[in-house]
Amino acid sequence: MEPESQGPSSGSDIPLLPARMVNEFAYCPRLAYFEWVDGEFADNAETTEGRFHHRRVDQTPLRKSRKVEDDQPSEATIHQRSVWLSSERLGVTAKIDLVEGDAASAGLAEGTQTVVPVDYKRGKRPHTTQGAWEPELVQLCVQGLLLREQGFTCERGVLYFVGSRERVEVPFDDELITRTRELLDGMRTMTQATVAPPPLVDSPKCPRCSLVGLCLPDEVGWLRATHEGEAPAVRKLIPANDDALPLYVQTPGAKLGKDGECLKVKDHDEVIGEARLVETSQVVLYGAIQVSTQVTQELCKRGIPLVYCSSGGWFYGMTTGLLHKHVELRRRQYAAAADRERCLLLARRFVQAKIANCRTLLRRNHRAAPDTVIQELKCDQIQAGVAESLESLLGTEGTAARRYFSEFAGMLKEAEPGARFDFDGRNRRPPRDPVNAMLSLLYSMLAREWTVTLQSVGLDPYLGFYHQPRYGRPALALDMMEEFRPLIADSAVLTAINNGEIRTSDWIERMGSVTLTPDGRCRLIETYERRMGQEITHPVFGYQISYRRVLEVQARLLGRYLLGEIPELPPFTTR
Amino acid sequence: MRRHYLVTYDICDAKRLRRVFKTMKGFGAHLQLSVFQCDLPDIDVVRMKAALTEIIDQREDQVLIIDLGPTESHPIKRIESMGIKAEWEERRARIM
Ligand code: SF4
Repeated sequence: MEPESQGPSSGSDIPLLPARMVNEFAYCPRLAYFEWVDGEFADNAETTEGRFHHRRVDQTPLRKSRKVEDDQPSEATIHQRSVWLSSERLGVTAKIDLVEGDAASAGLAEGTQTVVPVDYKRGKRPHTTQGAWEPELVQLCVQGLLLREQGFTCERGVLYFVGSRERVEVPFDDELITRTRELLDGMRTMTQATVAPPPLVDSPKCPRCSLVGLCLPDEVGWLRATHEGEAPAVRKLIPANDDALPLYVQTPGAKLGKDGECLKVKDHDEVIGEARLVETSQVVLYGAIQVSTQVTQELCKRGIPLVYCSSGGWFYGMTTGLLHKHVELRRRQYAAAADRERCLLLARRFVQAKIANCRTLLRRNHRAAPDTVIQELKCDQIQAGVAESLESLLGTEGTAARRYFSEFAGMLKEAEPGARFDFDGRNRRPPRDPVNAMLSLLYSMLAREWTVTLQSVGLDPYLGFYHQPRYGRPALALDMMEEFRPLIADSAVLTAINNGEIRTSDWIERMGSVTLTPDGRCRLIETYERRMGQEITHPVFGYQISYRRVLEVQARLLGRYLLGEIPELPPFTTR
Repeated sequence: MRRHYLVTYDICDAKRLRRVFKTMKGFGAHLQLSVFQCDLPDIDVVRMKAALTEIIDQREDQVLIIDLGPTESHPIKRIESMGIKAEWEERRARIM
């Protein structure tokens, strides 16, 4: 890791602020908070391109564009690349791309060499009056102040725009220096806060911000305000089809290796498949699959979780890179979990939303759902909203689940003759009929999905509000998945059966319990993944988004709720 | 947002050719001899260009990156194939 990107070590002793962070702070204080205090970092095309250019700056021996050389008379005495300076007094540190000696220094008294910091910027020179935006100006000014601290005379700096090969001269006048100091102070004050500054409102900066997906500026802004009726007019800033996708390996004895930029799965020296690393979101292994250390390391480096399950689909655990740096978030989570009132509040919400979604699924897919059941479910939903304890809530949830599952078979089409989708009520461990077996498999897939998602946003999947952290269950993942069971798992099971994707021949029955054949399971996973990729209209924000993204947004909103940024965690219910 | 790209290359040196091929496998599906079908968000286009820049010789080799437009508009439908049917890769979870 670059020294520049290391965040503060503790509340009181603020480490030196990198000049790059001052740039971020000037762009958006919230962005600086996320990166500096929470240690969040996300790449987008612009940051990646920027780094690519910088690396080339760092590598190239002293070869400059002609433009630079023209402005660089032969008297220059200093010409140093990648200069790293710090000052305890200013409390800042910076890596300067290039320091040029200035011709004007000739004739000055000894020891007062005049220098000019040059900062390389990706892209073209923006067409503003000053030739650059404020964030770039103050970042450069910090470099200038650092050079002055070293005893140099430094009256101006240069921004070099790689895209248009243009130099922009930036005089370090009083106005810029005052503004720079102001921002440095503002930033120091900000680091003391435990919560990030609020998002920008309707800002054109957000669509270009690399952290837009975790910041959720418009969503948070909308949920903070009070609304009458429904008027979702939230900009869609999160791209829906950018998701990487999971890789599942379930061939017993297969070996997972790396080949260049791809993962390679081999079965007895025969390559049975490849997956590109850039397109992989997680790697899920069913049963005894061998993985090379090289693969594990590469996945850790890229932040791709490696998930281990039994061959039957039981979730054992996962390997990830380092724990997420957002400590404050977990602290809030633990505090909320210790507070009975808040647990009950959240638990009611989870159960209510789940019952609502079950009811909708029945209404939409049942050939003739009895009105009584639909009404009773409505009552259960209301009942859940006023439950006085977790115990009574559990009771209500159980009753609602029995009602729902007693009608589940009504959503299944008449299957082929002899089909045994004879479903009445949930049974598990071991599931005694195909439908129950399919539900169990998909619930465990959904629990895994939530575990991975929660962990990736910095929450602890094992500590929940409704489910208790017992028996090593990922309680928070189970909480969060409640309302998504009918939407994703149940609905995928219906699709698989009703579309004939899974047939009776896909089952093996052994001593009263039923399991899917490897081929059948493969198809069921496909159905599930298709469902995850399906785009739906977000019930709160009104834009199109895939379920895969919904999970992430929902997890981040839980974080925003726990940090007190939004008053409630909006339920995800469909109509 | 993802866009479809057709990437084709002409590399003069066998060793660089192998490296380009291997790198491209990380970004798209091998379609023909020196042609890849890529389905990339902006960030991966930048990564791909950065990776290729490291390998190719600017004076001898050539890479063409043809932007076929956003994936939602299904621009690949406008491509007609003759002879052996072209297999366009679809994005989906991989199960092996
Ligand atoms: S998305 Fe907007 S509000 Fe959020 S950090 Fe980025 S610029 Fe700031």
